[in-house]
Amino acid sequence: MESTILKSRNFNASFGTNHVVKNVNIDIPRNHIIAVMGPSGCGKTTYLRCINRMHELIPGATSNGEMDLNGEDIYQMHPIFVRLKIGMVFQRPNPFPNLSIYDNVIAGYKLNGIKLPKAERDRIVEQSLTKVALWKEVKDSLTKKGSFLSGGQQQRLCIARTVAMEPEVILFDEPTSALDPISTSTVEELFHELKANYTLIIVTHNMQQAARVSDKTAFFFLGELVEYDETKTMFTNPKDNRTQNYITGRFS
Amino acid sequence: MNIDSVKFRLGKSSGFQVLIYVLAFACVIPLLFILGFIIKAGVTKINWHFLVNIPKPVGESGGGIANALVGSIIIILVASVIAVPIGIMAGVYLSENKKSRLAYWCRLSTDILQGVPSIVIGIVAYFWLVKPLRGFSALSGSAALAIMMLPIIIRSTEETLKLLPASLKEAALALGMPFHRVIFKVIIPVGISGILSGIMLSIARITGETAPLLFTAFGNPYLSFKLTKPMQSLPLLIFNYATSPYDDWKNLAWGASLILLLWVLFLNIFTKIITRKWKVQF
Amino acid sequence: MAQLETELQLLKTEVINMWTLVNSQLSKARTAFLNFDKDLAREVVLKEKRVNGSELKIDRDCENIFALFCPVAIDLRFLLAVLKINSNLERIGDIAEGIGKYVIDAETPFTEELLRVTRILPMYEEAVHMLEDTQSAFETEDTVLARSVFKKDDFLDSVNKASNKVLETHLAHHPEDTAQALWLLSIIRRLERVGDQAKNVAEEIIFYLEAKVLKHKNKFA
Repeated sequence: MESTILKSRNFNASFGTNHVVKNVNIDIPRNHIIAVMGPSGCGKTTYLRCINRMHELIPGATSNGEMDLNGEDIYQMHPIFVRLKIGMVFQRPNPFPNLSIYDNVIAGYKLNGIKLPKAERDRIVEQSLTKVALWKEVKDSLTKKGSFLSGGQQQRLCIARTVAMEPEVILFDEPTSALDPISTSTVEELFHELKANYTLIIVTHNMQQAARVSDKTAFFFLGELVEYDETKTMFTNPKDNRTQNYITGRFS
Repeated sequence: MNIDSVKFRLGKSSGFQVLIYVLAFACVIPLLFILGFIIKAGVTKINWHFLVNIPKPVGESGGGIANALVGSIIIILVASVIAVPIGIMAGVYLSENKKSRLAYWCRLSTDILQGVPSIVIGIVAYFWLVKPLRGFSALSGSAALAIMMLPIIIRSTEETLKLLPASLKEAALALGMPFHRVIFKVIIPVGISGILSGIMLSIARITGETAPLLFTAFGNPYLSFKLTKPMQSLPLLIFNYATSPYDDWKNLAWGASLILLLWVLFLNIFTKIITRKWKVQF
Repeated sequence: MAQLETELQLLKTEVINMWTLVNSQLSKARTAFLNFDKDLAREVVLKEKRVNGSELKIDRDCENIFALFCPVAIDLRFLLAVLKINSNLERIGDIAEGIGKYVIDAETPFTEELLRVTRILPMYEEAVHMLEDTQSAFETEDTVLARSVFKKDDFLDSVNKASNKVLETHLAHHPEDTAQALWLLSIIRRLERVGDQAKNVAEEIIFYLEAKVLKHKNKFA
C-alpha cells in the first residue's frame, strides 16, 4: 500500500470571478512521477501553483478547499514553510544571473540568511549537482557565473538549486518546453533518478512526454480533473471520452 | 513617374541627409565651445595650492577653493544619504504595485516634482528648515538637493526593476524566501547597475545646482565641516566670485568652473563604465 | 532515450525466452514421437499453457511500448516484427502440442518402414533446425543466417509434396498401415506449416534489421 504524500479535496482556484480550477480531488503517492496534462487554459498550471502557494501572490487570486501535505493542510501553514518543503522548477531556466554556479546551488540557504559551515556548503553543492548529472561538467567552473551554460544545463542547475533544499515534493511547470530535444532528453532521464528521493509533479503540454516519464497521469479539461490513472492505462485505454479525444488529437 | 521627378526626389533625399549631419554636428559645437573656453580660462589657475587653500581676503593674491570643494562633497554626500534610500524604496514600491491608489499618487508627485524649478525648491527649504532652525545650514542645502534627486532615482529604479523578468522573483519566492529578502537579496542586486546609474545621474544633476543653495547653505568663506552651519559649495562660489569686481576672485571662479565641469564629465563617464560592466543581460 | 531502450531490451529477452520454450516443445514432441513416450507428450501438452501466456504478455507489452513511447525507425520495425514473430511462435507451439496429443492418443508406434519411406525424421530435424536458426539470427541480429532459413524450407516442401505419392505407393503393398499413414500425413502437413512459420519469422527479422519486405517475393532475387 503506497503512502499518499499530497492530497486535494474539493479544491478550487479562481482569478477574481474567473473560476479556473474546479473541485479537484486527487491523491498523489510518494516517490512517484505524476504528469498533469491538458490543453491550454485547462487550469493545470494554476493548480500546480496552488500546491506551493504561488497562486495567491497574484492580485485577485483566490482558492479554497483542502490541500494536504503528509496530512497537514498547506493553507494552514506559513507559505514560506510550504515552499521549503515543496520546490518548483519553471518553464524558462532562471538561475540567478548575478551569482556564480556554486552560489546558485546554495542560493536557498545563502539568500535566506541560513549560515552553514563551508564543509557543509561544499557537500550540498557537490551532492545536488551530482544528483542532476551536472557535477562533472561544472566542477571546475563553480565560481563562474552560469551564463556560459546551455539551456539544458541551466535548467539542471535550477533543479539542483531546488534539490539542495531537500524538499519532499518537486513541482515542474513545463520544464522542458523551452529546451531543445537533446536537453529535453537529459532532463527527462533525470526525472527517473529523482524519483527515488522525491515526489515529482510535472505539468506538461507535451503528451508524449507525459507518456514517457510518468507513473500516473492526470488529465485536466476546462478546469476539471477529468481522469487520473496509471499512465499505461491512460494511454492504451482511457476511461473518459474527453481523455481519448485529447490524446488522439481529435479536439475540434 | 518620369526621370526628372525621380531625380528631384533623390536630390531632396540627399539634401535632407546632409541637413541631418549638419544639425547633428551643430549640437556638438556648443559643447566643444564651452569646454574649450573654460579649459582655456581655467587650466592656468589650477595647481595644488588652488585645491587646498581657502580664498584669501580681497587684495591678497593666491588662495584657493578648498572650502568649496569640501563643502560640495559634504553637501552632496548628505543629500545622497537622504535621497538614495527613500528613492530606491519608492522605486521598488512603484515597480511592485502598478495599480494601487498610493502608486498613482506617488507617480504623479514624482513627475510634478521633476518639473518644479530649483529655486522654488530652495525657497521651500528656506521656509521649512532655515527659518525654524534660525540659520543657514549645510543640512538644509542637502535637504533641498535631496528633493531634487528623488524623482530621478525613483524613476530609474522603477524602470530598471520593471525590466527584470518576473521569473527572477518567482525563482526566489519558490525557494521559500520572504518578500523583503527577495527584494534586497535578489531584485536589487540584479538591478544594481541601473539603480546605480540613476543615482550617479542624479548626483551629476545636483552637482551644479546653485539656486537651491542660495537660501539654504548660503556659502561660507571659511572651511567648515559643521552640518548645522552655512557651508560653501562650488556653484555658490562661482556665482558669487564670477560677478565680483576683483580679478583674484574672478580667477578662482574660472578655476572652480573647470573643476566642476571635469567633475560632472568624469561622473558621467564613470556611470557609463559601471553600467556596462555590471549590467546583467537577460 | 534510456527508458525506451530498457523496455525494448526486456521485450527482446521475453521473446527469446518464449522462443527457447517453443524450441524445446518442438524437440520434446519429436523425442516423444520417436520413442513413443506418452509421459513426455503429456508434458508438452501441459506446457502449451505457458506458451499461450507468453504470447499474451508479449502482445500487451508491445501495446504499452507503442502507447507510451511512440517509437520510430528501427524501434518501430522491431516492435512490428516482434508482434508477428510472437504469433508465429505461438502457432508453432500449437503444432507441437498437436503432435504431442497424437502420441498420447496413438495405440501403437509408427512402423520403421513408413518412417523411412516418408523421410519424416529428417524433415522434423530440419524443421527444428530452422526454428533454432531463426532464434540465433534474432539474438545475434544476423541477416545472413536468417536468409539461410529460406533454402531449408525447400526441403520441407519437397518432402510434403512427395508424401502423397510415397504413401499411395506404400499403401498399395501394405494396406494395413492405412490408419497410421493418415496420421503420418497429418503430421507431415503440420511440419510443413512449421517450416512456413519459421520462414515468416525469418522475413520479419530481415524486415526489422534491413527494412526490406521479403513477403510474397521471390526469395532468390
